[in-house]
Order: sequence, then C-alpha cells, then structure tokens
Amino acid sequence: MIRSDQMDRRFIEEVMAEPGGEHLLTCWSCGTCAATCLVRRFNPAFNPRLILHKAGLGLREAVLSSAEIWACSACDTCYPRCPQGIHISQVMRAIRNVAIRAGYEAPGPTAQVDANRCSGCAVCTRICPYEAIERASQNIDGQERVIARVDRNLCQACGLCVAACPSGAMSLEALNDAELLTRMAAGGWLEHAGFLQGASTTPRLLAFVCQWSVRAEDEWQRIQALNDEHLRVVILPCSGRVEPAHILLALSKGVDGVLVMGCHEGACHYQRGTYLGRGKVALLNEMMAQMGIVRERVRFVESSALERRIFEERLALMREAILALRPALEIPAR
Amino acid sequence: MNKINLAAYWASSCGGCDIAIVELGEHLLELAQVADIVFWPAATDFKYADVEAMADGFIDLTLFNGAIRTEEDVHIAHLLRQKSKVLIAFGSCAMEGCIPGLSNLVGPERALRRAALETPSTDNPEGVLPQGHFEIPEGALTLPRLCGTLRTLEQVVPVDFKIPGCPPNHDQVWNALQAYLAGHLPKNGLLGVDPRTVCDQCPRVREGKIRVKQFQRPHEVIADPERCFLEQGLICAGPATHAGCGALCVKANMPCRGCYGPPDGVTDQGAALLDAIVASFDGQSDAEVRQIVGTIIDPIGTFYRFSLANSLLQKARALASQGDDPCASQAATEGETL
Repeated sequence: MIRSDQMDRRFIEEVMAEPGGEHLLTCWSCGTCAATCLVRRFNPAFNPRLILHKAGLGLREAVLSSAEIWACSACDTCYPRCPQGIHISQVMRAIRNVAIRAGYEAPGPTAQVDANRCSGCAVCTRICPYEAIERASQNIDGQERVIARVDRNLCQACGLCVAACPSGAMSLEALNDAELLTRMAAGGWLEHAGFLQGASTTPRLLAFVCQWSVRAEDEWQRIQALNDEHLRVVILPCSGRVEPAHILLALSKGVDGVLVMGCHEGACHYQRGTYLGRGKVALLNEMMAQMGIVRERVRFVESSALERRIFEERLALMREAILALRPALEIPAR
Repeated sequence: MNKINLAAYWASSCGGCDIAIVELGEHLLELAQVADIVFWPAATDFKYADVEAMADGFIDLTLFNGAIRTEEDVHIAHLLRQKSKVLIAFGSCAMEGCIPGLSNLVGPERALRRAALETPSTDNPEGVLPQGHFEIPEGALTLPRLCGTLRTLEQVVPVDFKIPGCPPNHDQVWNALQAYLAGHLPKNGLLGVDPRTVCDQCPRVREGKIRVKQFQRPHEVIADPERCFLEQGLICAGPATHAGCGALCVKANMPCRGCYGPPDGVTDQGAALLDAIVASFDGQSDAEVRQIVGTIIDPIGTFYRFSLANSLLQKARALASQGDDPCASQAATEGETL
C-alpha cells in the first residue's frame, strides 16, 4: 500500500535534476523493460518498471533503501524497446547518485585497487565499459602518484578490469585470478595428461562459461552435472573475464582443448565484454598458429539465454575436432 | 675485509650484457677493491680448465649472461653452478631466453639455415653451413652442437637471483651488486629493478579512454612524443613490463619492447600484455575485432619478444610435440648435429 504522506515531490525533482534522470516522469509503467530485462532473468526481485514507478511517486525511502537500484548493469537491452524512449539505465544511475549523496552504498563487491602495485597505466580505464575507473593523483606512503580509482557507484563488478590489469593491482573478491585458478584446478583436475599425449581415450576439455550466456536453471544444472575427469566447467561473470594465461596454463598441463562460451554479438550484458573475450581468443589463436599449436584447441563459441543445449553441441564439436588431431600430431599411443 | 671471488660468463648472447658490466665505469674501480675477478671470458684470459680446477663453491658470485643454446652452454652452466655460491641469471637471455629464444619458433636447423644462407646480408655463394667437426692441417676444429630448444639458465640449473634487462641498465647492475655486497637480497629473487611497471616511470600523457581500431608498427608512423603509445595505436609493452630501466625507450620515442620481463606476480608476460592490448580494442562486432587482431603483425615476436623460451605458450607446445630436445636429457652431449 502506498501512503500519500510517504510521497516526496522533492525526491522526484532531485532525481530529475541528475543527468540522465530527466525522463523519469515520462514512464507509462507498461513493463516492456521488465519483460526484456536480462538481470531479471537471474535476479527476479529486480524490476525496473517498479523502481521507476516508485521513484515517480516520490517514495524516497522505499526506493533508496532497496537493494535493487544497484542491480541494473546498464546492458541497455531495454533502452531501444522502451516505447517512451527512456534511457532507463541512466535513470537508475541518477537514482543511485541521489542514494550515494544520502549515504547509501552499493551492497555488492566492487573492483579494488592495490595502490602499491598500480602503475597508473590506464589499461583498466580503457577497458571499463562503464567509465567507472579514473586515474587520479594520490599520496601513497609520502609519494604523489597517479593511480586508478574505482567509482563504487558505477562499478558493475564485471571483472573485465581484473582480467586486463597486467600488474595484478585490480581485484574483485570471488573473481580474482587465484580464485579462478582454484576452480580450474580443484581436485587436481589439471594434473592429468590428456588425449593428445596418449594418456586418455577421451579429450580433456576445460570450458569457461559466461554466466549470462546460460540462464535457465535446468540448463545450469545439466551443465554442472557434466563436470567429470574429462570436463571442467568454470563459470565467469563474462567471457571478457577470461585470462589467456589460464588458457595457456591448461594447455601446458595437458588439457586438450579450451572452450570459451560468451554471448552473441550485441547481446553482451556488460556491453563490450563479449568482444574482449573474442579478441583474446582470436589473438591467442594467431599466436598458437605461429607456435605450431593447432588453433582449434582454443575456441570462442556463442550462446544466448534463449538457446538450449548449445553448450553440449559445441563441446561435442570440439571433442570431434580434437579426436581428429591425433594423426596430424603423430603422437604414438602409450 | 676479504675480497669476494667474482665471475662473469657469456653463454648464447650478443655481448651487450658484458658491455653493461663495463658500463659500470668508475664503479669498476670500487668493485675491484672488494672483488677479485676469477673468470670473465669477455675481458680476461682465464680458461675453462682454470674453472674446472677450482674447488666447489670457490666463486662467491657469478653473473651468468646468455641463453642455453649449445652443448657448451649446458656444460658451463653446470660447471659454474657447481663452483658458485651464488649464481645470477644476468640479463634477459639468461633469465627468459630473450630474442634468441624466438628461434624456438622454428627450431635450430631452420634458424641455422636462415642465419648462414638466407639473410639479406649473407654472402655465402657456396652455401657452406658451419660444421661441427672440420679437419685442417694444424688439427681438428670443433664447434659445440645446438640444442633442440633454447633454454633459460633456470631451466638447466637452479638459479639464486635474476637481473632482468636487454641489457640490464648499468645503474641497476651497480644497485644489484651493492645489494648483494650489503646482504640486502630480495625474497622474490629479482635484483636491479624498481617497483611496479614501466608505465610508472613513463612521462607520457595517458588520456585514459582512447581505444583504437588498428595497430601500426613503429616504422610506419612518426609517433607523437608526448602521448601514450597505446593510445596512438602502437603496441607498447610498458604495462606488462617490470620497471627498472627508467623508461629509456619511451623517452627516445620508441614503444617499450618489454625487455625487463613480467611484473611481480605475473608468470607469463605475453599473456599479460595480450590482456592489456585487447583492453584497448575499439571493436563493436566480431568482424571488427578480428580486423583489429589482423593488424597485429607477428604477435609472438611482439608479445613474447623477450620471454618466449620461458613462456606457458612454449610449454604448451613442448607438450604437444613431445620433447624433441636432446640437451634436455641427462645425456647433454648427444646434441643434434649442426
């Protein structure tokens, strides 16, 4: 129930005064945004229509204290579909700006900078799809240095900067290299020779799967159940988070093939992450070819939340491709 | 104070690392007060037999430069390890393979043919290849045989410390020697470096948001001397390279080549640089991304210019092609014929 004494006209004005918040009151509450929202598919509590509606009614407390205002990841899937042309992620950002001024904080983890390791090289400021990282002069142990600084309000915890940082200065809780490495290697999975070394009759494959490219719960359950001695699935927040060093480590340990599954072109939840994942795999493929390693052993494949059983199909194709490699490498069976 | 016994050696190297020691200049006089040079082929006339005659651990400190490419390199690496209390991989070749390590792309036979027969500056009309054994009236001449794979010093014998650089900056060589003499030795084993990466010492302006649609090579453009190379579409290894040189190349308007090796905590420099370079791609479709990748000529020579022999990429191949390196086995003398 909404009580009129909770409605605060000044809150509406405050949001509308923020850049991007101007269109708050043009919302019809039709719900098209909620119907297309990618976040909503895995966080059902998030409903952009309701947030805009409540904000439009001036329900200051209800809006600012809700965890959902921080959940929009600005993928802008809803923007071209909104009949009123409202740039909803911008309105969300305006609301969050008001929240931050009122002392609220984003509930989730955001990227952190290790000042002692950061060289201010600007790799992270270039990769961030949200312009959430700036370089700023800071006094570190009495020395004035320009280093990266993360805006907690803008960071969407996609982990792209953590992958990109060449100094290991960027970190993000569960998405750090060490954590991903643990997931790859758990149970000594990496410590086995593979098919191409003649130690296994089935190819051993490692798969990095973007969490947004598979959405339905039954799909996830089925994919997780595929984990065995010949397959290790590591879930990433985005295919752009994949580390070429992890792929190479796997190959150097005897893994036969590495699959990176990300979203279709234009469907990346983090705007450009899928292009970064593709770029890394494409460049790595070029180096593998130069090095005389069959490039088919590392592949980028795409999937979307609406597709079914794509993962298994791609996996089967990769297995076939690797089974066909053996004669080419002339590796005698042991 | 007792003087220490100091040795320096060149395995497969260009000689630049020995120049870096000579470049200590007047510090050499200070060094002579605290150290006796007991072996240094580039500058003194001691023979291998002199080293073989030394007691184990006789040498306090050996600065070993050059990669391990021949049987002779393997032999001397083992010998100096045995005779030295502290063995330092000195310079990029000994530490990570450096430019000679790129020959691992094609193997020793192909590299030898290229060097002896094909380069534009080669004048060899009779097509003579170096022979392992050659009889002349005065007796037999021999050359050491090449290993199947060029290796770093640490891939052959245990190493105590490393000093990166191609060659190491002479100021850093002096810093490293002083640190050794004072007993201030780093836990991570890296001497003669500064904290963080080359970007930390680079004076160029980084706008911070500029992404690029293509990469060019330094000879194709005249770079703006004030702006970040990456933001001009020139691949610069600075973000993935340990600081220590004082950003010498970038101050001479040349992108960092990466000779100081990976930053602390990074094992594969090429992979780290790949991540950093892809970060600056301005591609909004699969086709555009592939197009940008296509503008990167010779990615291994660019990303692994100095570190291929020590890379995960090379390890991955070694596994796929099943050890083809006779020098890697115990029977180091069974090297491939020249």
